[in-house]
Amino acid sequence: MGKGWCLFFLFWPIAAVVSCAMAPFVGWSFPYNNAQAASNLGIRIDDLFYIILIVTAIVFVGTQAVLVYALWRGANNREERATNIHGNHKLELIWSIIPGAILLFLAIYQMNIWADFRIKKYYPEAAVKDPLAEVTARQFEWRFRYPAIGKKLQQKPQPDDLYSVNELHVPFGKPVMIQLRSDDVQHSFFLPALRIKQDALPGLQIPVWFEANKPGTYDLVCAELCGWGHYKMKAHVIVQPEDEYQAYLKNLTQKQFYDGLGKIAAKDTGTESEAVEK
Amino acid sequence: MRFGFRRLILLSLIPLISFTGCEQPQVKFVFSQKTNELIPEAAKPVKEALVRQFGNPFELTQFEGLPTDFGDVQGTVKSVESSGKDQPLIRFQATGLENAYDKLLGLPLEWTSGKGQGHISRIKEYDFETGTIAVEKSPEIDPQSGDTFLIECVRLQFGRDLYNRHCMHCHGMSGEGTGPTSRYLNPPPRDFRLGIYKYTSTKPTSKAQEADLARTVKEGIAGTYMPSFKLLTDDEVSAIVNYVIWLSIRGETEKKLVDELYLDYSETAMAERTSEEGGETREEVLEELKEYMELDFPDTLEFATSSVAEAWEEANLEDAIVIPQKPRVADTPESRERGRKLYLSQKTKCASCHGPQARGNGTATQDFWTNPATNEKYSERGLHDIWGNLLPPRDLHRGIYRGGRRPIDTYRRLYSGIKGTPMPAFGGSLTDEELWDMVNYVMSLPYDGNR
Ligand SMILES: [Cu+2]
Repeated sequence: MGKGWCLFFLFWPIAAVVSCAMAPFVGWSFPYNNAQAASNLGIRIDDLFYIILIVTAIVFVGTQAVLVYALWRGANNREERATNIHGNHKLELIWSIIPGAILLFLAIYQMNIWADFRIKKYYPEAAVKDPLAEVTARQFEWRFRYPAIGKKLQQKPQPDDLYSVNELHVPFGKPVMIQLRSDDVQHSFFLPALRIKQDALPGLQIPVWFEANKPGTYDLVCAELCGWGHYKMKAHVIVQPEDEYQAYLKNLTQKQFYDGLGKIAAKDTGTESEAVEK
Repeated sequence: MRFGFRRLILLSLIPLISFTGCEQPQVKFVFSQKTNELIPEAAKPVKEALVRQFGNPFELTQFEGLPTDFGDVQGTVKSVESSGKDQPLIRFQATGLENAYDKLLGLPLEWTSGKGQGHISRIKEYDFETGTIAVEKSPEIDPQSGDTFLIECVRLQFGRDLYNRHCMHCHGMSGEGTGPTSRYLNPPPRDFRLGIYKYTSTKPTSKAQEADLARTVKEGIAGTYMPSFKLLTDDEVSAIVNYVIWLSIRGETEKKLVDELYLDYSETAMAERTSEEGGETREEVLEELKEYMELDFPDTLEFATSSVAEAWEEANLEDAIVIPQKPRVADTPESRERGRKLYLSQKTKCASCHGPQARGNGTATQDFWTNPATNEKYSERGLHDIWGNLLPPRDLHRGIYRGGRRPIDTYRRLYSGIKGTPMPAFGGSLTDEELWDMVNYVMSLPYDGNR
């Protein structure tokens, strides 16, 4: 093996480290606002990610350095012949126990986050008691059902429920829970900015909670290849202060019970208003 | 070689193989089945007229008086950037292009004043932000500030591009409803060429309002494969609607022309006329056709296009829209009961299709019906729509409202019926109070348990 190969194997770890280091500056990193998650749980998940990134980076750089060193020595030394050894007990122990310990540490360290994220017993009580909306994934759109203002979301649709499509409004600064369903195939409810991802399965109703920590319009996409129109399955989650959220619901109520004559809310979020239906 | 270059090559070929397996839709406007059933001598002028009036997907044209927005943009040169001798392009700033979007690249630009008047330049670069245009340099043109130019068809082409990206997959290149994915869908995608749309806010005989189509695009149609395109901007939606209406007008014009010719000059008519009972020779028929083409066809074409255009224009007038005279009757048990009685009455005959329990299983679904277009019986039992598809009456307990779930939407379904389907219009035969009672009854059905 020539020295060219040494450089070849040296190049990749350097390229990897450099591209990782510059990722945040060229927009290759996590979405939104300086790669900061827009939910409190999301920030904790980011921290977990960075710990794993650092551990794997150290291991990666270390092993690559050893590899390149070994290659370099071999390339410079054409006389010495390789000898056949039958393993090294001490080495085997070291590279079994250290990664094992790291994995064990990570497993224990992340348990709280996992529980908070996925185990219903640990969900914020207020959110569980009063789910925000039912979210139904469908080829290829998201449909939302909110309870009427002042009422609670029921399992079955109610006459005064409020409906919308591809636009989920959420108050910020408090934990909310949605009931996730699928009408047809498997979809996945993915809020990249909030680091929330949960599969939606036909026949199941899956609770998902999150707490948005800053207002904004975030993407809701489908993270499961669910058919040819999968790429179209995009929606917005609009995170807004509680009073704006209540105003939205009021607007939605007015629009939904429009009888062609009564007053209808202003044309800020909807597609139709008095202006259209003169 | 040892680690299997051959396998690597094979592996990299897999995506290539699967790509070639994909069906590439043909970039052309198709003609209707009936047009293709005409004898060639009759089909030819129809097809030529359509190409003349509407062009092809690459080059759209539009004749005078159409209600769709063709999108001519008049621009004025503000300032010309000095360019080097060997520069192949001339760059200049222009005003008047505020409504032209970022869609001017590659379009022809016709000079309407200055040295280059009458000449056509291709737009090689266009920066929407700064309004800078670059065109190929030629000795005939020498833009000076104040020179004017015209770019045509901007709006329609913008709509076409969006339509081809988002809609063509199902609805087809010509709006004929047979895009590459259509065969997997039930209900099938709408064929726009009849110019009929189901969920409108307009009177029974009127076409759809632009706002109706925009609402359908934005909200999708619950219970069908039509998804919501809410993330498109209002402007994009209106451009798509503009193009869809244009496609409809093309289809309707074609239909009107063919309907004039079909009875006498289809292949079957020809065979009949030249058979022993018919007693005519092919030459005689062709002679008659030639006469028709010379004397009457231009008028037919003129009438077809203008009547279609007019109908679309009228639909967008204020008085085309259905507005109740009285506000919704309070949604009380009494009102619902009155609605239920009406539902079951002979006056409305709702139950004959939707069933006594409104489960969508009325007796009409068990009959063989006659196709109004061909006067032949359908091969399947049950109701059909005007596009020839089997159309089961809606189960009203499902709580899925394709045309919208507002009371006014249900009111309009009852008032105007559902266009293109056997659902009749009750506006006129029922009073406003009666209609609202029915609305209250129908909208209560999904929530009344298992009655
Ligand atoms: Cu999906």
